[in-house]
Amino acid sequence: MNPIEIMVSYWPRMLDGTLMTLKLTILGALIAGAISPWLALVRSHGSLIAQTPIRIYVSFVRGTPILAQLFLVFYGSGQFRPELMELGLWNFFRDPFNCAILVFVLNSTAYQTEIMRGGIQGVNLGEIEAAKAIGMTRMTILRRVIFPHAYRIAWPALSNEIILLMKASALASVVTVFDIMGRTRQIFSKTFDFSIYLWAALIYLAITSLFVFGWHRIERRLNRHILPRNNANAVS
Amino acid sequence: MLELFSYGDTGWGDEILMGLATTMKLAVATLPVGMIIGFLIAFAAMSGIRAVRYVGVGYTTIMRGLPEILTLFVVYNGAGLLLNSLIKWWNPEAEGTDFSPFLAGVIALAMVFGAFAAEVIRGAYNSLDKGQIEAAAAVGMTPQQTFWRIKLPQLWRFALPGIGNLWINMLKDTALVSVIALDDLMRMTKVAVGVTKQPFTFYLVACLIYWVLCVLSEMILSRMERHANRGVRRA
Amino acid sequence: MIPMDPSGPILSAIDIRKSFGDVEVLKGISLDAKKHDVISILGASGSGKSTFLRCLNFLETPTSGKVIIHGDEINVQNGQPKMSVPIEDIRKRLGMVFQQFNLWTHRTVLENVMEGLIHVRKKSRGEARSIAENYIERVGLSQRVDAYPGHLSGGQQQRVAIARALAMEPDAILFDEPTSALDPELVGEVLKVMQSLAEEGRTMIVVTHEMAFAREVSSEVVFLHQGKVLEKGTPDEMFATPKSEEFKRFIASM
Ligand SMILES: Nc1ncnc2c1ncn2[C@@H]1O[C@H](COP(=O)(O)OP(=O)(O)OP(=O)(O)O)[C@@H](O)[C@H]1O
Ligand SMILES: [Mg+2]
Repeated sequence: MNPIEIMVSYWPRMLDGTLMTLKLTILGALIAGAISPWLALVRSHGSLIAQTPIRIYVSFVRGTPILAQLFLVFYGSGQFRPELMELGLWNFFRDPFNCAILVFVLNSTAYQTEIMRGGIQGVNLGEIEAAKAIGMTRMTILRRVIFPHAYRIAWPALSNEIILLMKASALASVVTVFDIMGRTRQIFSKTFDFSIYLWAALIYLAITSLFVFGWHRIERRLNRHILPRNNANAVS
Repeated sequence: MLELFSYGDTGWGDEILMGLATTMKLAVATLPVGMIIGFLIAFAAMSGIRAVRYVGVGYTTIMRGLPEILTLFVVYNGAGLLLNSLIKWWNPEAEGTDFSPFLAGVIALAMVFGAFAAEVIRGAYNSLDKGQIEAAAAVGMTPQQTFWRIKLPQLWRFALPGIGNLWINMLKDTALVSVIALDDLMRMTKVAVGVTKQPFTFYLVACLIYWVLCVLSEMILSRMERHANRGVRRA
Repeated sequence: MIPMDPSGPILSAIDIRKSFGDVEVLKGISLDAKKHDVISILGASGSGKSTFLRCLNFLETPTSGKVIIHGDEINVQNGQPKMSVPIEDIRKRLGMVFQQFNLWTHRTVLENVMEGLIHVRKKSRGEARSIAENYIERVGLSQRVDAYPGHLSGGQQQRVAIARALAMEPDAILFDEPTSALDPELVGEVLKVMQSLAEEGRTMIVVTHEMAFAREVSSEVVFLHQGKVLEKGTPDEMFATPKSEEFKRFIASM
């Protein structure tokens, strides 16, 4: 078969795999994105006792292969099957998709926490004091001053992290989740046609490019206030 | 519990240590190959010849955008197919063979490492102090002498933190080769799990071993950084 | 090598021109340095002083002109130099001291001075070491031979840079504003070293904004203006009776 034919016959599976990759990545990134700012706050302003478990968690996640983490959760949960059944959690851990998502969330949360910590620590203290001085509550300061600034600082690094997460999502195929990588291996084992790998590469690159393009557009919006104005009446 | 990890027939300590040795061998073999690829690609990306520059930039862009496991399969299966068709072409009667998973692992990991290292090296190269390079020319050093005696040692200093990170990432990526049947730490753990039916215990131990390797690497790297930065005024 | 007249110039630059893109920053500059000459090059910022100096040892390739060092001639036409010896041979006969010192940060003081001796002059380690120590002492830094440049003051760094240039035993030393990057209180120590070099009879070409140095130490002053030599002469006549309006104004602004 030539490369075109293989795509003609297998495109529904590859499309299905692509959707799965997107699902893993987006879901993982969003859940991690909801948790990490709070951990980052604790990590940069919390007491030492509160910080320590977060530090250990981040260090562990960064110091171990994602594949090992995935096996630890997916196969490891089997060792506690009776206990998990009792808790009603066994159905969750039996499903490789759930385990993959859990691992990606744990992983991305650790990395995003570090990134957001950098962002939060980069916020100008003077601006926080100014907000206090006009009587904003802590929550308002967080919402109106700290987080907007922190996200602006962290935005490019977050983009990198999401691309890393998308690449890591290919590991889900090892525990039989049929993402792009899973479908590719499945098709290869059937056809022994090498070109399916090249198609997979192309799809991954396309996703990355589209993502980078979109992310840049959002970044430009976030940074509106510091970009040079391009209207002509600024100079006369 | 402890006898599970003892050394010898009853425990899995020796198997796991052998796996760890394979993992380390793989990582240590990958590093120099990856660095060479990194330098080649970095210089390609900075070349004055446009076509060469495109190759360099294209390589880093593509390799950094692909999942490492995909690269591994492409190398393993691709090289395997290539090897077999070469053998068939040479001797149509010959049996097909499998491409060495160790070699495939080194090549794939080095290709990934090289792509990221190229970016680190390029950044370091651009932060070299032009004045110091001019000073080398001014005392009469040839461009080759300037490269080996002035640029390279300083490049090292700027590149070390980035390369250190890549080393740690690569160390973790070695776990992927277990998928192509190389008996590394990850795969030996899997074998132990198959027999003992204690997946959590064994995968946790594997994780802890990787963790120790990474933390040790970080400690050594920060010493190396301190050494490389001796004599430089801290800002 | 052409046999030389001992009283003739050891370094000549003839009609040096240099353009960056469409802008001609050197419009035909000539200069002769005889043994023991100390030539100060003065001029406003942007007049082309650094560019000219850098054309002498080909850190910058002139667009056209001729440089003759010890009888070896480099002729440049259309930015293409024609030379009888490798460029490195020319450079090792001309020391250079930079405004920003440009010491190699990964090498100690001693190593900075030894580097060129070993790898360019091809001296043995032992010989290089004793030569280097000698010149480091000459600039008063024997106490700091094992220090890294980052741990020295600007004035000390510049003295090491001078030792590095001296150690190569060049025919002439080029200085590009050697004191401009220094805190005012450190300028003196560097000027003192330079003055002692002049008294020893070293051939020096010095781009500087230090009027006192130009006036009291140099044997000749050259005033550049917009890429041309507008005036030159002994410091006494130059400062006593400036001829051009530009030089008058330049002195007044100092
Ligand atoms: N690499 C370059 N590319 C383009 N223009 C340059 C370059 N180097 C110097 N120039 C221009 O050439 C002119 C002369 O520069 P030069 O550095 O020789 O001046 P200078 O007399 O040494 O001034 P200063 O006292 O500020 O050091 C300036 O207009 C400068 O902008
Ligand atoms: Mg200058």
